[in-house]
Amino acid sequence: MDPNEVKYIQERTNAILDVIMAYARLDFTQKTEITDQGDVFDSIASGVNMLGEELENSVITLQEREALLQEVHHRVKNNLQIISSLMNLQASYTKDEKFLALIRECRNRIISMSMIHEMLYRTKDLSRIQVLDYIKTLTLSINSSFSGSSSDVVFEYDIDDRIYLEAERMIPIGLIINEAVSNSFKYAFPDRKGIIRIRFTGSKTHFCMKISDNGIGLPETIQTEEFESLGIQLIGALSDQLSAELKILRKNGLGYELKFKIQSR
Amino acid sequence: MEIPNTAHNLTCYFTWMGEDGIARTKVKPGSAVKLEHAQENSVAVNSFYVDRKYPLLIDARGIRSITRDARNFFTTNGRQTNTLGFAIIIDSSVSKVIGNFFLGINKPAVPTKLFLDESNVVDWLSKLKE
Repeated sequence: MDPNEVKYIQERTNAILDVIMAYARLDFTQKTEITDQGDVFDSIASGVNMLGEELENSVITLQEREALLQEVHHRVKNNLQIISSLMNLQASYTKDEKFLALIRECRNRIISMSMIHEMLYRTKDLSRIQVLDYIKTLTLSINSSFSGSSSDVVFEYDIDDRIYLEAERMIPIGLIINEAVSNSFKYAFPDRKGIIRIRFTGSKTHFCMKISDNGIGLPETIQTEEFESLGIQLIGALSDQLSAELKILRKNGLGYELKFKIQSR
Repeated sequence: MEIPNTAHNLTCYFTWMGEDGIARTKVKPGSAVKLEHAQENSVAVNSFYVDRKYPLLIDARGIRSITRDARNFFTTNGRQTNTLGFAIIIDSSVSKVIGNFFLGINKPAVPTKLFLDESNVVDWLSKLKE
């Protein structure tokens, strides 16, 4: 082959490869040169340039969508926080303990949801959050809402840090944890001392979440079905939402065990 | 494809209406087509008849490049057009790649077919008029 021809082939191939590499780095400022020759290299160069334009457009669209989604999560979180603040403001006008307790319950429920939206817009992955991170942050928040008069309640976690879940399932899970932990704070520890354990693990097909305390538990005479606290009713309804199998554990305290499929419907 | 004297002499195209009711547009050799050139061509193509739709024969042989904006404009998606369908004549070089982009990625809203020469083009386009 003519040395000039070899040189031409090498130069054109290298130029095209350089541009492909730039596109792989998501640098779309480069274009391959199309000469007047109209040869096979010009055809390839033309295709590479056009693919680069299409890729750039897809990347921009994706970035715009992500930004929009981030904004939505931010706004939802802000709105939930406004609702929570309004409830707080309303609570400041009363000294009625029952009313204050109701407000606190409602606020904690709202916070458990706003926390998910906050985590979603703060992380790169706008669809899923780490279960471990969320549960720790949530329980810390519940703890501080109940520790007006200081308590000695300790949390023990056994949570797989590889588990990430989407907001759709994280919201009912957060609300369940909120109800269970709030119930423990309200009823399980008359002397304000105790342990709350939260376990979240996964097998091949199912996730298993267990929230339990080592408190005084339910009196023997009360059947679970008879227990009419809104907290337990909510836990039941939220378990249904997750299509979870719910077990109430009444040994050495009170606990809840939920088993649900890894794949959401 | 012979260009008649009556053809619109545009920046990147010669565009005219054939006596057979098929609009024709031929890319000028070495053209780097941008959105404004596509729009200029579209104005010319749509000016032939107000109340009638007709097929368009595009001779893309000799084209050098076409931007994404221009490709999207030519798809006619989301805009009014008098065009019933496109027949694009390509050769073995750049126009072949561009033609295939129109079939695979920037898909026009009207029937589109690639041809390697002029022999069967008019037959196919004439069927669109029926």
